Amino acid sequence: MCVGLAAKVVGVKDGMAVVDASGAKRKVSAELIEELEPGDYVMVHAGIAIAKITDDDTNETDDIMEML
Amino acid sequence: MKSGKIVTLAHGAGGKQTSELIDQVFKAHFSNPQFTADDAAVLEVNGKIAMSTDGFIVSPYEFNGGNIGKLSICGTVNDLACMGAKPLYMTCSFIIEEGFSMDKLEEIASYMEKTAKEAGVKIVAGDTKVAGRGQVDHLFITTTGIGKIVDGVSTSGAFAKPGDKIIVTGDIGRHGCTILLARENLGIEADIQSDCAPLWGTVEMMLETTKDIHVIRDATRGGVGTVLYEIAAESNVGVKLDSSAIPVDPAVSGVCGMLGLDPLYLANEGTLVVIAPAEQADTLVETLHKGKYSKNAAVIGEITESMPGKVVVTTEIGAETLLPQPGGELLPRIC
Amino acid sequence: MAEQKKSALEIIKSYDGPKLRIMEVCGTHTHEIFRLGIRKILPETIELISGPGCPVCVTPIGFIDEAVMLALDHQVTICTFGDLIRVPGTTMSLAGARAEGANIQIVYTPLDAVEYAVGHPEEQVVFLSVGFETTTPSSCLAVKKAKEENLQNFSILTANKTMPNAYQALKGSADAFLYPGHVNAITGEEECKKLAQDGVISGVIAGFTAKELLTALAVIIEKSKTKKSYFVNCYPRVVRPEGNPAAQKMIKEVMEPCDSEWRGLGVIPMSGLKLRQAYEAYDARLKFHLPKMQGKPNPACRCGDVLQGKCKPSDCKVFGRGCTPQHPIGACMVSNEGSCSAYYQYGME
Repeated sequence: MCVGLAAKVVGVKDGMAVVDASGAKRKVSAELIEELEPGDYVMVHAGIAIAKITDDDTNETDDIMEML
Repeated sequence: MKSGKIVTLAHGAGGKQTSELIDQVFKAHFSNPQFTADDAAVLEVNGKIAMSTDGFIVSPYEFNGGNIGKLSICGTVNDLACMGAKPLYMTCSFIIEEGFSMDKLEEIASYMEKTAKEAGVKIVAGDTKVAGRGQVDHLFITTTGIGKIVDGVSTSGAFAKPGDKIIVTGDIGRHGCTILLARENLGIEADIQSDCAPLWGTVEMMLETTKDIHVIRDATRGGVGTVLYEIAAESNVGVKLDSSAIPVDPAVSGVCGMLGLDPLYLANEGTLVVIAPAEQADTLVETLHKGKYSKNAAVIGEITESMPGKVVVTTEIGAETLLPQPGGELLPRIC
Repeated sequence: MAEQKKSALEIIKSYDGPKLRIMEVCGTHTHEIFRLGIRKILPETIELISGPGCPVCVTPIGFIDEAVMLALDHQVTICTFGDLIRVPGTTMSLAGARAEGANIQIVYTPLDAVEYAVGHPEEQVVFLSVGFETTTPSSCLAVKKAKEENLQNFSILTANKTMPNAYQALKGSADAFLYPGHVNAITGEEECKKLAQDGVISGVIAGFTAKELLTALAVIIEKSKTKKSYFVNCYPRVVRPEGNPAAQKMIKEVMEPCDSEWRGLGVIPMSGLKLRQAYEAYDARLKFHLPKMQGKPNPACRCGDVLQGKCKPSDCKVFGRGCTPQHPIGACMVSNEGSCSAYYQYGME
């Protein structure tokens, strides 16, 4: 239902962030995330950052499998 | 020097202004011994000839990596090249909107001159019409070309055989992505250039390596995915792609990720799909890597006997799934 | 020495337990599952059911009719996500309206629709506000911005939906839910956790990469062996237990719950969102005095049953015959995330 894109924050200004997904850049709203800084990774949907994230799905899935 | 002049209806009326336009813009750029002032160009050609025509309407008419002029030469040159034909002569017909900038027209003509020169093709006849404001989106160009087929070469979309390898001559989707970003107001910035290029040189290199090539297609509208479905149908074979082997520029991937699009359906204007016997594939790719426009060439899959008419993709988890049939207009997908 | 742990893929492939029905609620999951070919590696005993989590698919026909009326009769500029362009209405889609001269703009975000309205003060601009909890904050943000700038030519047509009551409506359709990770990124874990605790239905929150999807499925398989109800957040890199409080607050401030019609599922009480009174100047329905529109679906179309997992797309009489992605009859064939479209395009008969 919701195509999300993991992207790196490269700039933050006035509630907006410029995010970079392997070279594709777009300005998105950063109003819904507290304390965003360049270098952070965010999940972007419909032009807004909806969550601060870690960029790597490997550790996460490894931990979950370990828990089983 | 910029003139600041514009094209008017008088330039298309056939009188003095028409002659001026032709002399100052077209003759100045397309001049060659065969460029005719008569009603038709007279040419001498021997052997088997390929002939192709293509109309160009592209919005915007200028884009990163080219403009409609360059595109109009590449499109026809590449169609000829796909048949193993060395492009020889071309005609071009312009339909220009009243009020179009003369300087822009001149720039477009100079791109055409440069591109034609690189492709080794001569522009021998042309036509200009001027349409009233709003009747044309800036300008339309139609080009027609003929080329001489290299002896011993025979390519067709119907010639793919099970066991053949599928090669793309470069990373895919750059032209479509460039135009999409320029056309739709999506607010996305990416350092992506159209792959628009004349590819006779690329094809010539391949043919010097081997003439044993079954299919060459330029993956224009609809992209590599569409072309592969066409070939699968025409040759009545299956196509099996390895998703991890398909070369895509990271920025193109990024844009596609943002918009929910697949680079396999984005247009290319300087990338070919080549299908050749397995034993030729590695040599061909090696040769291609030396070319100006084919540094990212790669084998992306093979032709199979099973699943005729279908394109199957081996995915990153090792499963096989159908590539969805392309169709309709490309729409950015968000939700 | 400890036994070598099985990989997620091995767990899935080697499953030999009783039949397990898993509903992927989210349309993006449906799409990724097909794209990756995950269905092709599942043992026969695991059935994946594509749920109603594609906003395009559950948007009722009447909504498209309203948009077409705005575009053609009221000469309004429609800003929309590309997804909605080809959804058939009672008489035509937005693509059809565009061919008749309507001004339809595709936007990446509702914030761009606001920007468009600012740049075109002579036009009335309506954004088609569809989506679940993930998408709704962007619409709310757009309305707030429009209000801040006192924009007179911007409004939204709401069809926003919320998941919790839909989960209740669908609980009998499957043994476990694969929860829509990006909805949970906003709403958090609580609601889904509670469904498991109350014994309503088990489920796991899943991400969208191949690894994340396989891991989530493996977790469902392992947990289902315990015969107890369970809930696991398999997407913690994005989904915090509390979700995104700022986004929740934003939704609450701008919108309030209302009954909502889901195509195929009918009206689910309090499963939709509409603008609060303070923002009703931005409600296109009020602004343009739209009549109540009851769209007429094609009677042969079984999108409703498909969305509830009651039948497979291929069980529908028009599937692949009258109804194809090029000429869709039902919404499930339009969206890339629709299960009919996915079944058709990826060749599942």
